[in-house]
Amino acid sequence: MDEGMNKMIKVSNLYHSYSNDDNYAVKDVSFEIEKGEIFGFLGPSGAGKSTTQNILVGLLQLQQGQVEVAGYDVKHIKNKMFNKIGMSFEQSNVYNKMSGLENLEFYRKLFDVETKDPMDLIKLVGLEGKENIKAGKYSKGMKHRLTFARSMINNPEMWFLDEPTTGLDPAIASEIKDIIKREKEKGVTIFLTTHNMYIADELCDRVAFIVDGTIRLIDSPKALKLKYGEKLVDVEYFKDGELIKDSFSTVIKEEKERLVEVISKYDIQTMHTKEATLEEIFIKVTGRGLV
Amino acid sequence: MKLWYSFSKELSLSSKSWYFYIEVGMSVVLLLILLFVIPENFDSNGKQYLYLDLPQVVRDRYEKSLLEEDLDETVELVELEADDRTFAAALYETEESKIYLLDTKEALDAVSESERVPVVHVRVNEDNQIIHTYYLQGYETSKLRNLLMVYHNRLAGHDVIEDYSDNIEVRKLYQEARPLSDKENIIPVFLTFNGSLMSLFIIAAYIFLDKNEGIVKAYAITASSVWHYLLSKIGVIIVTSIVTTLIVTVPIMGLQPNYLAMLLFVVSSGFFAASLGLFLTSFYKDIVEAFGAMYIVIVIMIMPSISYFTPSWDPYWVKIIPSYAMLQSFKEIISVDGNMAYVMVASLGFAVLGLDIFILANYRFKKTLSL
Repeated sequence: MDEGMNKMIKVSNLYHSYSNDDNYAVKDVSFEIEKGEIFGFLGPSGAGKSTTQNILVGLLQLQQGQVEVAGYDVKHIKNKMFNKIGMSFEQSNVYNKMSGLENLEFYRKLFDVETKDPMDLIKLVGLEGKENIKAGKYSKGMKHRLTFARSMINNPEMWFLDEPTTGLDPAIASEIKDIIKREKEKGVTIFLTTHNMYIADELCDRVAFIVDGTIRLIDSPKALKLKYGEKLVDVEYFKDGELIKDSFSTVIKEEKERLVEVISKYDIQTMHTKEATLEEIFIKVTGRGLV
Repeated sequence: MKLWYSFSKELSLSSKSWYFYIEVGMSVVLLLILLFVIPENFDSNGKQYLYLDLPQVVRDRYEKSLLEEDLDETVELVELEADDRTFAAALYETEESKIYLLDTKEALDAVSESERVPVVHVRVNEDNQIIHTYYLQGYETSKLRNLLMVYHNRLAGHDVIEDYSDNIEVRKLYQEARPLSDKENIIPVFLTFNGSLMSLFIIAAYIFLDKNEGIVKAYAITASSVWHYLLSKIGVIIVTSIVTTLIVTVPIMGLQPNYLAMLLFVVSSGFFAASLGLFLTSFYKDIVEAFGAMYIVIVIMIMPSISYFTPSWDPYWVKIIPSYAMLQSFKEIISVDGNMAYVMVASLGFAVLGLDIFILANYRFKKTLSL
């Protein structure tokens, strides 16, 4: 089987400048995404995440480089391509004067492929009972869920998610994450743009760190933790009536022995294993925070 | 099919928006103005105030000659309010003017003071010559002053002028065409500005509203073309224009206009104006940024209305402004035996021009979707 057949996205040497000069918002970006993979695109605001994503979905014109999405060359976008892709925007963008159900009913008519039943999507995102209310009267979270539901209407093979859980309460965010996991199991390829490292850690097969328009690294969260993280245990214990805080490596022999000694000899107050988080790795690699 | 879905959705949305009701409401207001405020023909009869300080015999002759020219050959005794006082006057109404004969010089002075119009004191001097003294207001042109002097000159006086003007041959270019009344003559202006040119502003409002809500981006990520979205917006604008045009025209003009030509012209000129509006909006992020450009376009489009009401001012450059052809076309459409060839050519021109601008606007929109 042709290796290219398994790639849903191929990007090579992508450049983009809003001012049409050497002041690039995206510089020499290259990556590929396998079919069925969740690929996290992580970076702080203004890093080039949205620019890259907008080029991939045709909202921005491709200036320089090669981009292929779902087998289509983005340089010459065809409407058919959009039958295969779906996009959930960070900022909700639904018709406020139409009800949630009317919004989905309208959008399903704009595709040439079999679409999901709008009512099923309404139920899926927890808007049942509110489907006939005008979207303008929805809360921010409800609008976000409607935007998310709309992105699934055409059963996309390639699904772009821009901050899919932003502004949602933890219970709804958890449901959204479950939906994403279920779609992945069905073989949907997902391009997840976020600055939330916990979401990325939980959902993504691979992540790319992008800062100042360039990709600094691409790898799986697990591999990154192994490579950049330290395995530590934080311990608080009483010694001679005084509370002592200490960290012990779980891979260095001497420290492991010292940890055993502390546990056996002193009164332990708290003890936590401490892996490096994706956020800490990001800061370590890029020298930048995520805000 | 997707175009139809978009169009019907836009139609449904516009029926829930303020802009639609503003347009319809404005056309109802214009209709009410036409029906109840603007007379069928404006009263162009000038008012003249005279005090005949003459011997009775001369005065009788003067009054007799005025009575002969009066429309119903009867003098009307009226009271004039001037300078917080009331004065008696005799009113003679001719085809061209209303002539008030005042009884005293004091009344003449009061009218001159309050009405701000030239008044005439007619008297006889020591040589038994009739002297006309004009009390002007200061704003009269030198042409008028010269004319008044020539008018009372014995050699080049009013007899000579009358003989000359009576012998001028007036030929109508369109023998069959019945001139529009003053009220009807205003309708093309209302149709041009409330119908076609409002399209330019309203479509910009619709687009910026959608841009603001991110709707354009959402539409762009579907298997439907951006031009479907844009054309469905234009379709709604044209439907609104047809409705507002009929609201203004039918109650005033009845069956006189050529409605088929009117429909064709509203569609083509509306398509042109809406495409122009789309093209302008494609350069800006919101209506505040676009307002400057919109304002300039609207001011330019207003220029031909000056020429429309002042036919003597008709420079070549005004004729190439699109609203000139719009005004003329609407005038031909509502006139009896209007020049339909002109309307057809103008419709075709607007359709072709509109299509070109629409293609450009579509290209621009595809480039600026993420704005």
